[in-house]
Amino acid sequence: MIERNTSIKYSVIVPIGTRHEDIGELYEEYRRGMDSLRAPYEFVFVVDGPHRDVIQRLEPLIAAGAGNIVMVVLNRSFGESTAVMAGFERCSGEIILTLPAYHQINPEDISKLVAPLDRKDVAVGWRWPRVGGGFEKFRRTMFHSLVSRVNGMQLHDLGCGARAMKRVVLQELSLYGDQHRLLAVLAHRQGFSVTEVELRQSEQDRFEGRYRPREYAHFVLDVFTVFFLVRFTKKPLRFFGMLGATMFGVGALVVLFLVVERLAFQTSLADRPALLLSALIVVLGLQLFALGLLAELIIFTHARHLKDYQGAQVIHYPKAELPRPTREARVEKTAAL
Amino acid sequence: MLIDHPKSATGGARPRLSVIAPLYNEEDNVRPLYAALTQALDPTGLDYEMLFVDDGSKDSTLSRALELAETDPRLKVVKFRRNCGQTAAMAAGIEFACGEVLVTMDGDLQNDPLDIPMFLETIEQGYDIVVGWRFKRQDKLISRKIPSKIANWLIGKVTKVPIKDNGCSLKAYRASVIKQIPLYSEMHRFIPAMASIAAPRIAEVKARHHARRFGASKYGLSRVYKVLLDLLVIKTLASFAGRPLLWFGLLAMPILLLGTGLVAYELLEAALWGLPLSLPVAGCGIIFIAAAFMLVFAGALGELIYNLGDMRDHEFARLTQHMQTARVETQTQ
Repeated sequence: MIERNTSIKYSVIVPIGTRHEDIGELYEEYRRGMDSLRAPYEFVFVVDGPHRDVIQRLEPLIAAGAGNIVMVVLNRSFGESTAVMAGFERCSGEIILTLPAYHQINPEDISKLVAPLDRKDVAVGWRWPRVGGGFEKFRRTMFHSLVSRVNGMQLHDLGCGARAMKRVVLQELSLYGDQHRLLAVLAHRQGFSVTEVELRQSEQDRFEGRYRPREYAHFVLDVFTVFFLVRFTKKPLRFFGMLGATMFGVGALVVLFLVVERLAFQTSLADRPALLLSALIVVLGLQLFALGLLAELIIFTHARHLKDYQGAQVIHYPKAELPRPTREARVEKTAAL
Repeated sequence: MLIDHPKSATGGARPRLSVIAPLYNEEDNVRPLYAALTQALDPTGLDYEMLFVDDGSKDSTLSRALELAETDPRLKVVKFRRNCGQTAAMAAGIEFACGEVLVTMDGDLQNDPLDIPMFLETIEQGYDIVVGWRFKRQDKLISRKIPSKIANWLIGKVTKVPIKDNGCSLKAYRASVIKQIPLYSEMHRFIPAMASIAAPRIAEVKARHHARRFGASKYGLSRVYKVLLDLLVIKTLASFAGRPLLWFGLLAMPILLLGTGLVAYELLEAALWGLPLSLPVAGCGIIFIAAAFMLVFAGALGELIYNLGDMRDHEFARLTQHMQTARVETQTQ
């Protein structure tokens, strides 16, 4: 990590992937939104892949010295989560914002997004009121209620790219893959306080009913990821073992049934495909169990890095301060991240 | 990260003893616990420290603990941002403690701090772990005592560390031993079994047990299946972590035998009596053989995982290979 410029309060990370609009125009709008906060800020544009047009658009802005702009160019497309983390490594602000590279929210609402951070650790945007067809609304509601049920926290708009958080949040969560969308969920799981902020949807945010099957698969996988990460990261055998034992049990019952039939009713066993099926199920159950044990071995050998109590503090008042105890506790050690 | 010889927070030498108490929503118990600890330990003239681990309590546990810490430099408060569970609280306490001997106990005053000097003495006799045994347990018979008896018997049988009372939180550890043991998930019930990886000398001593005075118990009966699966994990890790190929190979052996038997039987039938091959039976055999091979490969994958893991960088890995059955010696007073 480069040396931090402590005078900067807000850092705005804009990951720029394939879907992006005119960055110069967007920058002007976001800049106006940030100006309303009346505190020093910087922009970190992360160009995720070879988008020549973006680089050409940003270079004159940087040369013109239009405020604090940093451009990070990744040599190929790594995905939004990696782009955010790459941007984070280069930003100095105490509060980090991520904003989408296309019109999604009304930039005037940026101050609204940042406002709750004096009490909360993370604020995520929720486009409301929101446009969209009936089926699209139904899909959204289904998806978010599933995620909320697993996570135990009501969320409405994981797809909104406008998020604000304290620096420590990104320090502790290392995002990868598609996790940027699950940021609120993962932060909640790490014990950070998370809130949703209603933001006006940008009038140019028109992405209606154009989801392809691939995207739907992503939504389903997201739910599964949340489910697994939230409940079973440290105890994979509870997950694999439960599934495996159920399968093994079902298969064994079918085998038992077939054997009883053979013995009691003289039904021939040798020409029944059901025997084959049940053997397959038993074996599948066993394999799942073995996978669970392997997963446990992975957790065991990496247990030292997987502390639940990340960010724990030891508070302690040494003897020297005793005569006049102050409220300012000395923080002795912080758990290694 | 392992803290081998942390400096004492008081700036002086390492204290002889660290007492670790996890607290979760125990606001009524904080002050009585502190009072009981100081009353029990001050007369002994021991150099000790206390660690109260606040496990993300929702009530005023943390602020009360901090008030006490302001008046007593021997008290350290570990603050969690959220509730992480008792194992994490103990693990954090163990990580941040500086003492040569670490004593863990419940934060709800069911253990008696007056027992601590005796635990310490037992450690001084050369034991690495001293486990408390609540011989006059003050809990409900049906919902607490009987399931716990069965569980302890089973844990003893499976892990070969026959301790009468795994659930008693009052335990004492030699710091150099316990700091090597990875603790995560919900392992606090199995610390002695887990520690058996390092082949310690374990002693079991009688501990006083009081009924809960304040607050409500946070346990239920619903944890049977969790305990069973955890037990399987501990068994696997404690006996086979260093050689997964062997363990998976052992699992695969009967399946391979079954599969080969079925196939051989079918072939023999066809060869000797000219009967037509039965597809389902021969198919079953083939599936079992394939499954056995998959298990062996899973074991090979396990070897790879173990080789890349960080347990190898450590004294601990050496101890795993020279594993011996942990000795359990019961002491009666």
